[in-house]
Amino acid sequence: MSLWFELAISGLITGGIYAVVAIGLNLQYGLMRILNISHGEFLMLGAYLTWLAHTVLQVNPLVFLPVVALVLFVAGVAIYRLCFYRIVSTAPAVEVIEARSLLVGFGLLYLVQNLAYLAWGADLRGYSFLTESVEIAGARFGANRLVVFAFAVGASLALLAVLRYTLIGKAVRAMMQSPTGAQLVGIDTKFLHPVVFGAGLALAGVAGALLSMVYEISPAMGEPYTVTALIVIVLGGLGSALGSLLGGFLLGLVEAFGMHFTSPSLKMLLSYSVLVAVLLARPKGLFSR
Amino acid sequence: MPEPVLSARGITVRFGGLLAVDSVVLDVHAGELLGIIGPNGAGKTTFFHTLSGVLAPTAGRVVVAGDDLTGRGPHAFAAHGVARTFQTPRVFKEMPALDNVRFGLEFAGRTRRHAHDAFDKAETILEFLGLADAAGVPAGSLTPARQRLLEIGMALGTRPRVLLLDEVAAGLTHAELDATAQLIRGVRDELGLAVVWIEHAVRVLMNYVERVVVLHQGAKIADGDPRAVAKDPAVVEAYLGAEVVV
Amino acid sequence: MTRRHALIALLVGGVALAALPWLLSDFLLALALSCVMYAGLAVSWSMFCGPTNYLSLATAAFFGLGAYVTAWAAGALPYGLAVLAGGLVAAGFAALVGAAVLHLRGAYFAVITFGLGELVRHAITYYEKAYEGTVGRIIAAAPESTTVYWMVLFVSLAAVATAMIVRTSRLGLALRGIGSDEERAQTLGVNARGAKVLAFALSAFFAGALGAAMAVRWTYIDPPTVFNPFIGFQTVLIAMVGGAQTLLGPIVSALVFSLLTEFLRLQFPYLFLVILGLLLIVLVLYLPGGIASLFVRRRWRRGNA
Repeated sequence: MSLWFELAISGLITGGIYAVVAIGLNLQYGLMRILNISHGEFLMLGAYLTWLAHTVLQVNPLVFLPVVALVLFVAGVAIYRLCFYRIVSTAPAVEVIEARSLLVGFGLLYLVQNLAYLAWGADLRGYSFLTESVEIAGARFGANRLVVFAFAVGASLALLAVLRYTLIGKAVRAMMQSPTGAQLVGIDTKFLHPVVFGAGLALAGVAGALLSMVYEISPAMGEPYTVTALIVIVLGGLGSALGSLLGGFLLGLVEAFGMHFTSPSLKMLLSYSVLVAVLLARPKGLFSR
Repeated sequence: MPEPVLSARGITVRFGGLLAVDSVVLDVHAGELLGIIGPNGAGKTTFFHTLSGVLAPTAGRVVVAGDDLTGRGPHAFAAHGVARTFQTPRVFKEMPALDNVRFGLEFAGRTRRHAHDAFDKAETILEFLGLADAAGVPAGSLTPARQRLLEIGMALGTRPRVLLLDEVAAGLTHAELDATAQLIRGVRDELGLAVVWIEHAVRVLMNYVERVVVLHQGAKIADGDPRAVAKDPAVVEAYLGAEVVV
Repeated sequence: MTRRHALIALLVGGVALAALPWLLSDFLLALALSCVMYAGLAVSWSMFCGPTNYLSLATAAFFGLGAYVTAWAAGALPYGLAVLAGGLVAAGFAALVGAAVLHLRGAYFAVITFGLGELVRHAITYYEKAYEGTVGRIIAAAPESTTVYWMVLFVSLAAVATAMIVRTSRLGLALRGIGSDEERAQTLGVNARGAKVLAFALSAFFAGALGAAMAVRWTYIDPPTVFNPFIGFQTVLIAMVGGAQTLLGPIVSALVFSLLTEFLRLQFPYLFLVILGLLLIVLVLYLPGGIASLFVRRRWRRGNA
C-alpha cells in the first residue's frame, strides 16, 4: 500500500510540473495558434535565474519566484512583439501561422539554449534547498518536493480561477472561442495577446524555478519538458486549461507507475504511443468538448 | 422519361439535434435548368453538399446517372459528372486562371468527353466566359465577380453532366445578372448539361429557369413551373410575403 | 527550361559531382558528402511538403529506419540492395502511417510526425535491448568512402530527378491543388488521400535510402545516433530557408548550410547555433517563401484583373 501511495504522490509531483508547463503552452496555442516549441528553454532560464539568485545573492528561491515570474513575463511580451506578432498579423491562413510560429520557435530554441551554453557552460549546476525528509502516511518525501508540488498545484489552480472568474480571464476565454466575436464586444486583442504570451512564459519560468530546487540544471533541461507539455496538451485538448491540468497529473501518474512496473526505456515508448493514439482517435484531445 | 441524371431520394441531414435537410426528394433530368430557392437557413447549401459528395447525408441516397454514390467522397462525384461552385468563390488563388480551369480537365474531366469538343480545352472555356485576358493572372487577384465566372470555368473543366451553382448572382447588378444568366443558359444549350441553381435573388431566378423547387426549413414545399410556384400559398406564406408578379 | 533540358543538366551535373573523389582531399570529400546528403533530404522533403504546405517532422524516422535496415542486413545484403531495401521499408512505413495520419494538418500533423519518429526510435531501442540484448550495432564490413559517396550521390540525384518529374506531372498539380484548397481539389476529381499517401511514401523512400547509405559511415550505430531529431529539423530548416516550393532552393540551401556547419560548428559550436537560430527567425518573419522567393520571376506580373 505504501508503495502505491509513494508512486502516486511521486507521479502527482511530476505531474504538477507538467501541468504548469502545459497550461502556459496551451494558452499560447489556444489563443494565437502559436505552438511555442522553445517553451522549455524559458523553463531553463527560470531555473538558471533562481540558481544564480540563490548562489550569488543568497536569496531564498521561494521568495525569488515572483521575480522570476515578472522577468519572464516581460521577456514574453518582448518576444511576442518582436517575433510572433508579425506572423499572426501577416499570415494568410491559420495553418501558416502554426507552421511559421513552429519554425520561429525552433529558432528561439537554438538561440536561447546555446546562449545558455555560452554563458554557463554544459556542466550540471545545482544547489540544495529544503532537503530534509518529511514523512506522510508511512512514505518519505523530500520537503522540497512537497513544496514544489504545493506551488505547482497552487499556481495551476490560481490560473484556472483567473480564467474562470476574473474579467480578464473571461476575455481570454472569449478570444479563444471566437476572435472576431471578442473584438466585436470590445475586447482589446492587441493588448491581450502579448499579455497571454508573457503569462505563458512566466508559468514556464516558475516551473523551472521550482525544478531547480529539486534537480540539477543544465542548458538542455528544457527540451524534454516541452515535449512532455505537448503530450499533455494533446491529451487534455489544445485550448483547454483544465484539460492540461488533469492531463498533466494523468501523465505524471502513468509515468511513475509505468517506470516502476516496466523498464524505464519502455516509459518513453508508452508516452509516445499514448500521444499518437490520442491524436489519431480524438484529434481534439481527450477533454475538449 | 429517361433516367434522371441526378436523383436525391429522401435526403435527410442532421447536425446533432438540428435538422438541416428533411427528406428531400428531387429528380434532375438532362438539360434541365432548375432553380432552388428558400429563405436563409432553408438548407439549400447543405443539400448541395450532399449532392456533390462534400457531406454524406444522415439518411437517404444520392444517385448519379444510375450509380448510387451515397457516402462516397467528392472526387467520386466529380468523376461521375457532378460539378459545383461555392457560395464564396473557391479558386486556387496562387495558380493562374488558366491552370485553375485546366485542373478539372486533368482530373475528373480526363475520362469524360463533352458533347461539344471545343470545351475540351481550357483556353476555349476561358474565352467562352470572357476571361481570356486573365489566363495568366493568379486567380486570387481577380475581382470577386470574375472569380465566380472562373469557378464556373473550373466546373466546366470537369466535363460535367450536372452543374450545381451556389448563389452565383449575389452582389451583381441587373445587367451583370442578365449576362450571367444568359451565359448559364448558353452553357446548358451548348453542352446539354443539367443546371441546378441556388439563388437568393428570387426574382432573377424565376425569370431564367424552367422549373423551381422551394425549400423551407429543410423540406421541399413546392416544385414546378416558376409562375405556378410563385402563386402557391405555402410558398408565399413561407417566403415571398406577397404575390410575385412574374 | 523543358523537362528534357533539366534532366540533361542534372546528368551533366551528376557526372561532374561524381568526379570529385579524384579531385578533393578526404576532408573536402566528407564535406561534399554531407552536402549531397542534405540536398537529397531537403529535396525529397520538399517533394511532398512544398506544394501541400504540410510540415512533416518524420524525416528522422525514415532516415533512421533506413539506417537500421543496413545495420540488420549487415553482411547478408550487398550495399546497393541494402540501400534499396532501406528506401522501401521507409516508404512502406510512410504509406501505412500516412493513410492514418494525413487527414490531420498544420501543427497537429507536425506534432504527430515528430511523435511517430520518437515512437519508432524508442520501439527499436526497446526491441534491441529486450530481444537482441544489445544497445547498438557494429557495422563491420563497410564499403570504401568513395563508394559511399557515389551511392549517396546517386540516391540524391535520383531524388532530384523524381522531384523534377513529379513537379511537372499530374501528381504535382494535384498536390498543389491540395495545398491550395484540398476540398476544392476533391470536387474537381482529385483523390486527395491517394495522392498524399503516394507523395509522402515517395518522399520517405529517398530519406530511407539515404539513411541506409549513410549508416556505413558510422561504425557503431544506436537509436539516438540515427534517429536524431536534429536531422529532421535540419532538413526542414534547409528546405524552408531555400524555398520548399522550388527545386533549386533546397539544393543551394543545402550547399550553404553544409559549408557553414563545417566551418563554423567546430570553431564556435554554440555561437554557430545561436546564429542559426537568429537566421531562422529573421527568415521566417521577413522571407517566408525562403531565399528562392527573391528569385522567382513572377511570370504573371504583366496583365491585370
